[in-house]
Amino acid sequence: MPIQVLLIASVLLVVFIGVRRSPTIHVQAGKRIAIVLFAIANVYAVLRPEQVNELAVALGVGRGTDLVLYATVVAFMAVTFNVFQRFQQVDRRYTDLARTVALREAETINRERGLTRESQPPVLHPDEHRAP
Amino acid sequence: MVHHQYDDVWIVIPVYNEAPVVRAVIEHVLTVFPNVVCVDDGSSDGSIEEIAVTRAHLVRHPVNLGQGASLETGLAYARSQPGAAYFVTFDADGQHRTSDAEAMIAVARSGEADVVLGTRFGSGAGEQQVPRLKRVVLRAAALTSPSSRRLKLTDAHNGLRVLTRPVADDLRITMNGMAHASEIVQHLSHSAWRVREVPVTIDYTDYSRSKGQSLINGVNILFDLSLRQRKG
Repeated sequence: MPIQVLLIASVLLVVFIGVRRSPTIHVQAGKRIAIVLFAIANVYAVLRPEQVNELAVALGVGRGTDLVLYATVVAFMAVTFNVFQRFQQVDRRYTDLARTVALREAETINRERGLTRESQPPVLHPDEHRAP
Repeated sequence: MVHHQYDDVWIVIPVYNEAPVVRAVIEHVLTVFPNVVCVDDGSSDGSIEEIAVTRAHLVRHPVNLGQGASLETGLAYARSQPGAAYFVTFDADGQHRTSDAEAMIAVARSGEADVVLGTRFGSGAGEQQVPRLKRVVLRAAALTSPSSRRLKLTDAHNGLRVLTRPVADDLRITMNGMAHASEIVQHLSHSAWRVREVPVTIDYTDYSRSKGQSLINGVNILFDLSLRQRKG
């Protein structure tokens, strides 16, 4: 059935993009286009439910509602991966920030404790973070 | 200051809620190594006060970030200290022996290796002491990980490591949690650094056992590693 091929392919695509290491500009743009298309499709589906039904039958799904449900599951997966990636990104920046604060404070603490001979600011090598 | 044979060695100890033992561990390490930096990872149990009474350098994370993040912070601090040439990662719960660290530094100093990793499973290591289930899982992890296999490692998750200066300058630990051990091995396997394993003894005490890694955490480690993002 065509729907099975379509669903499996889209799930694999979502996982592939989610696991892939450096998200490129293309992926970023692709995500945005997908959101807009999804919104348009939703509005259309509300306005013309009978056409959704026809499409569902053509794809081998019984009813339009089921087709919408399947699409929602795939969209949910994509959103989950996206949120996870964003959290990782935020986490890295947060770590860099906390580390900078900790090292700066440590300089003072350890000098006051009489442990450092000469003060030399710790050199950080923060990863470059681009705003998505 | 008296010249010391380990003046160029920095011991990095990540500390998270280890108040009952951390002071004794630090005092013991300081009898052998003059340079110790403890990274407190936002402990809530008075570990900071215990560290503060010793002669160890103290770095405090303002919030809890994880053991990997603590190691990276400690290494960054140690790198900035004048004359630092060897970096040793050491657990705060007292399960490592300073004599093992000395033996590993000797290997690094000899120029035979750029990185020396402790292993619980080499000949001469106290293998019998590793609890059986843990032994099976750790061996399986080392045998199935492509990075460990490439480096012919027998134990990928030992907290005792010696890094020479170039390796410490090159290595960046980005996995904040427990996946950092695998991250380090992966990094080494993709680099040209010469890696050597040296058998070490882990003193499993009731304390270290109660604080130790639960095996189910392996699931979290695998998940983190597979979904991590590379530097952009």
